This record gives sequence, C-alpha cells and structure tokens, in this order.
Amino acid sequence: MKMRKGPPDLVLFLVVFLLVAIGIIMIFSASAVTANIKYQDPFLFLRKQAIWIVLGFILMLVAMKLNYHRLRELGVAAIIISVLSLIAVLLPGIGSTVKGAARQIDLGFTSFTPSELAKLCTVIFMASSLSRNFDKIKSFTKGLLPYLLFLGVICGLIILQPDLGTTFAIAVTGFLMLAMSGARYSHLGILALVGMVLVGLAIYLEPYRMIRFIAFLDPWKYANDAGFQTIQSLYALGSGGLFGMGLGQSRQKFFYLPEQHTDFIFAILGEELGYLGVILVLGLFLIFAWRGFRIALKAPDSFGSLLAAGLTTMVMAQALINLGVVSGSLPVTGIPLPFISFGGSSLIFTLIAVGLLLNISRYVYDR
Amino acid sequence: MKTTNIESRKRIASLFLIFVALIGALFVRFFWIQVVRGDELAKQALDNRMREIPVKAKRGILYDRNGRELAISVSTDSIYVNPAEIKKAGEEEKTARELAAVLEMDEEKVLSLITSNSSFVWLKRQVDFNVSQQLKELKIDGIGFHEESRRYYPKGTLACHILGISGTDHTGLDGIDLYYEKLIGGQDGKIVIEHDAAGRQIPEAVHRYVSPTEGSDVVLTLDETIQYIVERELDKIVEARQPKAACAIVMDPKTGEILGMASRPNFDPNNYNDFPAKNRRNFAVNNAYEPGSTMKIVTASAAMEEQLVSSQDRFNCPGYIKVGGHRISCSDTVHGHQTFSEVVEHSCNVGFINLGLKMGIDTYYRYLTAFGFGAKTGIDLPGEATGIVMKESQVKQINLATMSMGQTNAVTPIQLVTAASAIANGGALMKPHLLKKVLDGDGNVQKVVEPVKAQQVISKETADELCLILEGVVLNGSGRNAAVEGYRVAGKTGTAQKVGEDGRYLKSEYVASFLGFAPADDPQLVCLVVVDAPKGYPYYGGWVAAPVFKEIISDSLRYLGVPRTVMEEKEEKTPSVAVPDVINLPIDEGIKSLQNAGLNAQVQGEGDVIWGQVPKAHASVKRGSRVVVYLSAVSEQSGQGKVTVPDLEGKSIKEVARILSQLGLHLAPDGYGLAFEQDLAAGQQVSVGSTISVKFQPLE
Repeated sequence: MKMRKGPPDLVLFLVVFLLVAIGIIMIFSASAVTANIKYQDPFLFLRKQAIWIVLGFILMLVAMKLNYHRLRELGVAAIIISVLSLIAVLLPGIGSTVKGAARQIDLGFTSFTPSELAKLCTVIFMASSLSRNFDKIKSFTKGLLPYLLFLGVICGLIILQPDLGTTFAIAVTGFLMLAMSGARYSHLGILALVGMVLVGLAIYLEPYRMIRFIAFLDPWKYANDAGFQTIQSLYALGSGGLFGMGLGQSRQKFFYLPEQHTDFIFAILGEELGYLGVILVLGLFLIFAWRGFRIALKAPDSFGSLLAAGLTTMVMAQALINLGVVSGSLPVTGIPLPFISFGGSSLIFTLIAVGLLLNISRYVYDR
Repeated sequence: MKTTNIESRKRIASLFLIFVALIGALFVRFFWIQVVRGDELAKQALDNRMREIPVKAKRGILYDRNGRELAISVSTDSIYVNPAEIKKAGEEEKTARELAAVLEMDEEKVLSLITSNSSFVWLKRQVDFNVSQQLKELKIDGIGFHEESRRYYPKGTLACHILGISGTDHTGLDGIDLYYEKLIGGQDGKIVIEHDAAGRQIPEAVHRYVSPTEGSDVVLTLDETIQYIVERELDKIVEARQPKAACAIVMDPKTGEILGMASRPNFDPNNYNDFPAKNRRNFAVNNAYEPGSTMKIVTASAAMEEQLVSSQDRFNCPGYIKVGGHRISCSDTVHGHQTFSEVVEHSCNVGFINLGLKMGIDTYYRYLTAFGFGAKTGIDLPGEATGIVMKESQVKQINLATMSMGQTNAVTPIQLVTAASAIANGGALMKPHLLKKVLDGDGNVQKVVEPVKAQQVISKETADELCLILEGVVLNGSGRNAAVEGYRVAGKTGTAQKVGEDGRYLKSEYVASFLGFAPADDPQLVCLVVVDAPKGYPYYGGWVAAPVFKEIISDSLRYLGVPRTVMEEKEEKTPSVAVPDVINLPIDEGIKSLQNAGLNAQVQGEGDVIWGQVPKAHASVKRGSRVVVYLSAVSEQSGQGKVTVPDLEGKSIKEVARILSQLGLHLAPDGYGLAFEQDLAAGQQVSVGSTISVKFQPLE
C-alpha cells in the first residue's frame, strides 16, 4: 500500500478564502467608525488585518507543502515551546495586560498570543500521541490519565491569564479528540461531568464571571451592565432582520456594541447583511466541517485522520462558542470567530491549521 | 504504517453529525432572533439610540382685565457641560476654577460635575444675563447654553396668591399658573435624534421633531387697580393691628368675577423660597373660619323669603335667650323692643335665634346649602376649602340657635362673599371665577368665560328688601364706619370669637370682618374684609374691618366711575390734595408729578431744573389749584452751613432730588435712569446751595 500525493481540497480552500474575505470586509465596516474617532484612522484595523491575511496565507501554503508526518517528531518540541510561552505570558513585564487579563506577549512590531499557538500544538501533539496509543485508550490510568494531566497543565496555564473562553475551547477540543480516539463512553461521561463542575467552579469563584452568568440567564434585567453586550448584540441582530440594513449601515457599531470588530463581529454582520448573511456564513462553516471531517475520514493513516479531525474540531468548537455567545445562547466569554474576527494570532494559527488540513487532503490511499 | 482505526472513523463521523446538528440549532436560533423577533428588537434598538431634547413650550402671559401684564416669561440661559469634551481638553481643574468663579459655585462641586461620567450635566440653571455673557466670553469647550424660560411676576407681591408661582422647570406650582397649567403651560415638544453611545449624533441619523403647543395668554377678571387698592388697604391694617392673617375679596355680584383678592401674610412669587411656606396659603380661598354675625344674612334671607318676618315686625330682646337649658346672652346691652330692621342693625343675637328656631332645621339647611355653604364654590384656584358644616342629622335646637347667629359652622371667605353677592344680585348666585378670556397666539379672543348663574337663592323682592335693611346697618347700626361719602352702602359686621385647639371659644382672640356692597340700590361691588386676631382694642368688625372696607369700596367705586347716588345738600366739596415736593426735579418730571396730584403747574423763568415752588411741598390745597414753579436760579441765601455730599450711586432721579433738596443742594441731572456718577465726591464738605451734577444711566 503506497501513498500518492493528489491535489489539495479546493472546496475547503475556497470556503476558507470566502470566510476570510467576508471577514476583512466586515472588519472594515465594523471598525471604521470607532477607529476614526479613537485613532483618527478609519482604515487602521483593515490595514492590520490585511497584513495578517497575507502572512497567514503564506504560512498556510508552507504548512500545506511540508510532509505532515514530520510533525509527529515535532509534537513534543511544539508542546515545550507552547508551555514556555504560556508561562512567559504570565510573568509581569512580558505579558501585556489588556482589560485585566495577560493574554499577549508584546513583540514590539506586533503582539503574539501564546494560547493560540498552544491550541494548535495541543491538537498536533494529541493526534500524534493518540494515533500511537489506540490500544491503551480504553484504560483510564494508562490511556486517558496522561492526556488529562497534559490538558490540565495547558488549561491551567491559560485559565491563570485568565481566559476561560480559550481554556474551554481547548478542553472541549481535547475531550473530543479523546472521544474520537475511542475512549469509553463511561469515561467520557464522567469526564464531561467533571468538566462541567470545573467550569461551574471557575464561574462561581470569579465574581465577574458569576455576574456574567447571572446576566446570561436574564440579560434584559441587566441591560445596562452585565447584560449590556448580549442585549446590544441582540439589538444588532434584530435590527438586521431578514435582509439586513445594508453593508456599512450598522447603527450598533456606533459605540453601542463593544468588541464590534472582534468577538462580536458576527452581530454587526447580522445587522448589515441580515439573516441571509448569517445563513451564508453558517453554511460556509457547515461546508468547512464537512470537508474537514471528510479529509479526516479519507486520510491515509491514523495520525493524519486524528490530526484532520482535531484541527476541524478546534476551529468548529471556537466558531460554535463564539456564535453561541453572539446569539445570547451562551454566557459572554471572549473568543474570536475564526477567519472573521479581527486578530493576528488567531487568524494566522487558524490558517496554519487549514494549511495542515489541505496538506492531509493531498494524501490518499493508492489502492 | 498503521491504517486508520475503524472505531475512530465511526466516532469522527458521529462528531460531524453533532456539529451539523449544532449549526442547525444556530440556524434556528438566528432565525428566531432576526426574523421572528426582528421588528421588536429593531424598535427597541432604535429607542435605545434615540436621545430626546425637550423643546419647552412658551408659557402664556397673564393679563388683568384691562390688558396689564401680571405674569410673563423671560428667557434666561441655563448652563450645561459635556464632561467628555472637558476631559478631552485635559484642563479639568483650571476649567473648574474658572467656572466656579463666574458661577459663584463651590470649586470641588464644579469639578465633580464636569468630570462626571455622562455626556450631559446641568451646571447651573437660569443664570443671570451678565453671568452667561461672562461665561460665553471664556469660550470653554464643552460648555453649552440652553435658553430656558423663567416665569416673572412683574408686579411682585401683587395678587401673589392668585397668580401663583412657577418652578425652575417653568411649570406652574400654585395659583392660576397651576390651576390652568395645561392651558397656560402648553405642551412641551421635543427633538428626538439618533445618537451614538457617547452622545454624538450619528451620520444619516433618524430625526423626529414634535413641535410644542404654545401656552395660551389669558385675561383674568382681576383689575390691577382694584387689586392694588385691596393690597394697599390690607397692608395698612396689617401694619396697624398686626393680625395673624387677613384677607379681602372684591367681587362683581352680577357676573361672579373676582376684581380683587388678597390675603396676608403674603410673599413675592419671584423669590417664593425666601418666604415661609405658610405665607403661600390663600386665606381667602383655602381657609375656613367661623364667620359670626356676617352669617346672619343667611338667617335673615331665609326668614324673609319664607315670610316669617318683615322689616317692621316687632321683636323684644331681654338681653338673653334660653335654648334647651343653655342661656345665650345677646351682647353687653339689652336691646329691648325693636323692629326687624333694628335687629339686623344691632346684630341682635336673640332676634336671630328666634327667627332660626321659628324656621326650623330643614328650612335653615335648605338656604344654607342654596347659598353654597358646605360645598366648594368652584372658583378656579387650587386647594379650595369646603368649610365645615355640621351634619343636618346631628343638629339639635341649640346648634340651630348658634348657627342662626353665625357660630358652629365654618365657611371660607369666598363662600361668604359669593353668598352676599347673591343678595346684592337680586337673589341670583353667580359662580365666582378668575378667568375672563383666553387669547390665541395673535392676541385675538379665543374663548370668553361667560358668567354662570348657579342658583336663584331668594326672590328679587326679598333680596332688594334685605339690601335696604342692610343699608340701615351702615346708616344707623354697627357698620357706620363703612359708610362712604356719596354712595349708598349696605353691609353687615362680624365679630367672631375664635375657637381654640380644645374646641372651646377663646376669650381673647376674635375674627373681625365686614361684608358689604355698594351702591345699595344697584350693587356694583361686593367686598368682604376679614381680619384674623387683630391686636389691641377695639377688635369689633365694625371698628377693624369696616374702615378697610370703606377705603376699598370708596376708591374702587371712584376708580370705576360709578356715579354718586347720594346728592348731598351741601355744595360739593373739592377734595384737597397735598402738594408734592418738586424742587430739584427736572422740569418734565416736576410737571408730571404735579399733574398726577391733580394740580396745574405754572412755570416761571428758564432752565431745566425746578429751584422753587409755591405753595411749598406738603401744603394742603384744593384739587385743580395752581402751583407756580421757578426755573431761574434764585440766589442762594442761608448759605453759611456746610453739608456732606451724599453717595448717590444707584439711586433714581427722584430719590437723588429728594436727598439733595433735604440737604439744600441743587441737582444738575444728565441722562435718565439710575445715578452712576457725581461730580462732587461723596463725603466731601460743600456749602449749602452748591450744585452737584449727577449722571444717570438707564436700567437694562
């Protein structure tokens, strides 16, 4: 049995290209007003994101070209770098604090978000390791426990920043990768329960999260404080209706909706492009999931299969959390919408992940 | 190389289906938000972005019946800040210091206001013109001026209880300004503009303009001159007898129009906060008191209408009467045998009690109610009191007896004057009112308030006969002090012991009142004067209130030009007047002053200022006499003495002239208005007869 290199999955590429294109248009539309007033430059975020996109697509091509099997050897090294950068960001003087959380390392010319690197490396590492240990995965101590410890360290470091949203996304992705590797349903059930308790604790022990959670249960009651973002997001979506107010016509972007070009960009999209625009983007994500899992199922080996499934899961989990928050279906947590939200690190690592998916899609069985 | 794991493949496929399901759920969720609830949310979102800027309606002017302004609105500036802009400039402390200095506010308070977390804060409302002018010159970014109207009552305390007061937000809080708030205040409009979250306007913003409905100008029934007479006379009695309260009402009995109404204590509606709140109580309408003998007009009306008595019926007064075991004494004297007219003239309690007992409770109450007691008159003022009338079912003979002489029940002055008006108006009770006309924006009459006849209480014959009997009270009885030379006056005195807090009658406090009308054969004016607890002796209505009534009625009748009905045999006397002091006045002012006093000026010599006058000031001369004024500079005699030059700044020409003339100095005025410059400095010693030239400048 030999592997043969074929063409990459062009549908996936096209979907990602469209999502990124929609993203940059919406970033400009959503940010122009605030950028103009705050920085006297309406094109500020457009320009920054354009540079990231170019860089991201170059890195995507690189990721597509190399032989993904070599990643198996890089797995451990990647994890070490990830852990080190996660520790570094927690150190005063290295991590730059924005809105009370130290999530980024200022590199001078740009800033770098270690958790985005860690997310990608976690998937690569787990895919690499799990694909070697299918036989042990049914055992809790020998199979699951080491991975749980590993995930615990990564998640623990990120929640210290604090960044519950990303922690949750990584935990969910890791959990699903364990599930996809064939872990027992009983183990998975218990893990899910424990996970929920931990999330509950994380909310309960941190007053601001508790307030957000209570506001999530009845946002209209807290419309002027903790429920503000959710309500303004719903206002934006509702204003959009079926056909939208027209590109550039958002009203809620006039300082009403915070994070309007990052975490809540989808609300502005819904306001300007209406439910039709929402259908388009949701449809593109649906196709993305389909192509991603299709690549996983068609992959020539277990590593490729798990890696593709893990990367797809990583992107989809983030997207679903973000859309859940924007639609008021989940408590507010700061997580960007992949491909669309403004943000360099997120976009670049997501595009690298797509590059890897395209990479895997090129290898097929040679029957 | 391992091939892919079968179980893993199954799980991956299942996970894909889970994602499909979740995305499907999101499709539904967004459909729900955007399509099903879209309109509702869009409307809420728009409301959330709209800011309202109120557009105040113009407040209507209150005029007296002759078109003289009693309440107007003047525009003033209110100062607001946009703290965001202040912070942008980054000089909060310096700005706060500057603002505090100009606005005379506490610096720290200003600082906290201008740095507050808001896009709009009132700094100070309704500041004086020069203050806002000063602020405008400072040109501070983020400071804004909003033109607001302020109610201004140009006549000060005149008719304060009637006109009312208005708050900072320019709405009526009392009096006519409150009662007719909707009519006078109009309806505020607003501009609604879509704003961003920081309060900036959004480009292509949604605008809505709701125009205000301007308030109507209204004409009141009040006559400023009569009102002034009433106020003046009340001031006099208050000064002389220091009562706890006092009031007077002048009403036109034919229409129910209130021509004058005033209460004491009073207040200045422009600065009402400087007065105790109790001063704002309108005694004439808001208070009930036991009226005493003035209430006997009701007993008399009822008895006459029921034909229980006629004017020449004989009564005997042994000085007291026994009712159900109680002994009620009449007064200090025993009236003995008297006609009914004399019973009224002497205000004989025994006579009235006999009449009351004769007619019975039912009949008495029928007339009491018909005259409007125990119910509001419906006068257009807020807070009218109902008075306290004993429940008919609880009334015993002794109560009927005391009621017949004016005790037991409490009435408001407006009720009493309205009841008397019915007698003066041939038995027809007119509803008292203050609103005469409503004008539209161009000053045209939009609505006229027609007089409302509430009830025919007694027949015209009874009323006319009672008028004659009441005229006897003034001619021969207790009301002699109310007689007005040249007019036939009818009336009734009242002296009521006040009821103390324990419900017993007080020994030393009385309410003195006089209720009357003139001319008796064709009443034009009805007037009630009530003086609550006058100090000193005598405290009788005929001594305290009747003279006040007399002054009010006599001046008002003359002012109205009511022809005299009494032709006196003696040759008509020309009234004498006091010659005003015109020395040192500019020639124009001096002549005007003499003319106002009813005198003719004869000018001698040349010049601008009057040096001398004959007869001299304060001399009493016949109206229409000639006063010679000298303009040429008469040589100064008696110039030995030295006097100190006074400080004249801020004084009117008249005041300056008076002061200088007292010192024996001459005035050379320049300009008009208030003095602001004098050529000889204050404090300097000059000889008597020197001339000081003073520059005057007009008021703003």
